[in-house]
Amino acid sequence: MASDGILEDEAADRWAAQLRKGALEMAALAALWGKRLYGLEIIRYLESHSRLVLAEGTIYPILNRLKAEGMLTSEWVEADAGHPRKYYSLSPKGKERVGQMAESWIEFSRGLGRLIEPVLAAREAHQ
Amino acid sequence: MNAAAEHQMKQYLAELRVNLDGITLGERDEILREIGTHIRDCAAESEGAAMGEILAQLGSPVMLAREYREGVLIRSASRSFSPLLLLRATLGIATKGVAGTAIFFVAVMGYSLGGGLILTALVKPFLPPALTGLWIGPHAFGFGIGAYAADHAGVHEVLGIWYIPVALTLGALLLQGTTLIMRKLLRLFARARSMSSGYRNGPAAASLSI
Repeated sequence: MASDGILEDEAADRWAAQLRKGALEMAALAALWGKRLYGLEIIRYLESHSRLVLAEGTIYPILNRLKAEGMLTSEWVEADAGHPRKYYSLSPKGKERVGQMAESWIEFSRGLGRLIEPVLAAREAHQ
Repeated sequence: MNAAAEHQMKQYLAELRVNLDGITLGERDEILREIGTHIRDCAAESEGAAMGEILAQLGSPVMLAREYREGVLIRSASRSFSPLLLLRATLGIATKGVAGTAIFFVAVMGYSLGGGLILTALVKPFLPPALTGLWIGPHAFGFGIGAYAADHAGVHEVLGIWYIPVALTLGALLLQGTTLIMRKLLRLFARARSMSSGYRNGPAAASLSI
């Protein structure tokens, strides 16, 4: 049934969207590793360096919260654009947090990678 | 940016400001300044793009403000010892899935029981002695108001006037315990929530709410 196929595709898309959502905080912190960026730069950085595509308004409340939790520091900097921009940097606490997250992520993805190896091998053989 | 686009942007920011109630004026100004900068940068980056498209990418001001508001409320409540603030925060998350509902339920139960016990202790001197107490009997146990009728077979009340300090202590412990648990749960909720804030999957923008 065609409608069943569409529903299955939608379910797969929803799952992929949830997966992306799960990485949001780590992605925002990782984007700031070793540099300072303002909100729009973080969005563009995530778009170009990962397959995470961000709903633009979403990043700002998260940056606001991460700053309140002491993970980020911010400062307004005058720019050539004619208006100042709010630049974010990782605090020592933020560096520690993103480091822990990265380790957990790698451990998690390695485990899952081993688990799905037979699935991917079977799909490749089928194709 | 032409005058019409400037007007659209100002309208968006005005609506955002109105919906940011509950956030301190200083923080509100900072949020509006940052979002305004974002809109101007987007307009400059994509010359010719309609302001409507830029604002649509940001999401509705109501939803954006809600994201900010909830973050601030949960944050301040998770650091507070005020049952009112904690209850307000849990009320806000009660509709946010099973976890939010469960946290709200725990808060309501804990504060109701704690508050109820203290209330029964306070009103005991003004009620008939047999109405409040700790009743024990064969296959029976009751604590509070009117748990058993005085003449219930084999059941007797054991605390008497000591019900007052016991209920006050238990009630205070329940209120305090609920407060500490709520602070912890709200922090955990905020952490879990931050892991699932709206991404967009391809061209379809996800809602800002969970």
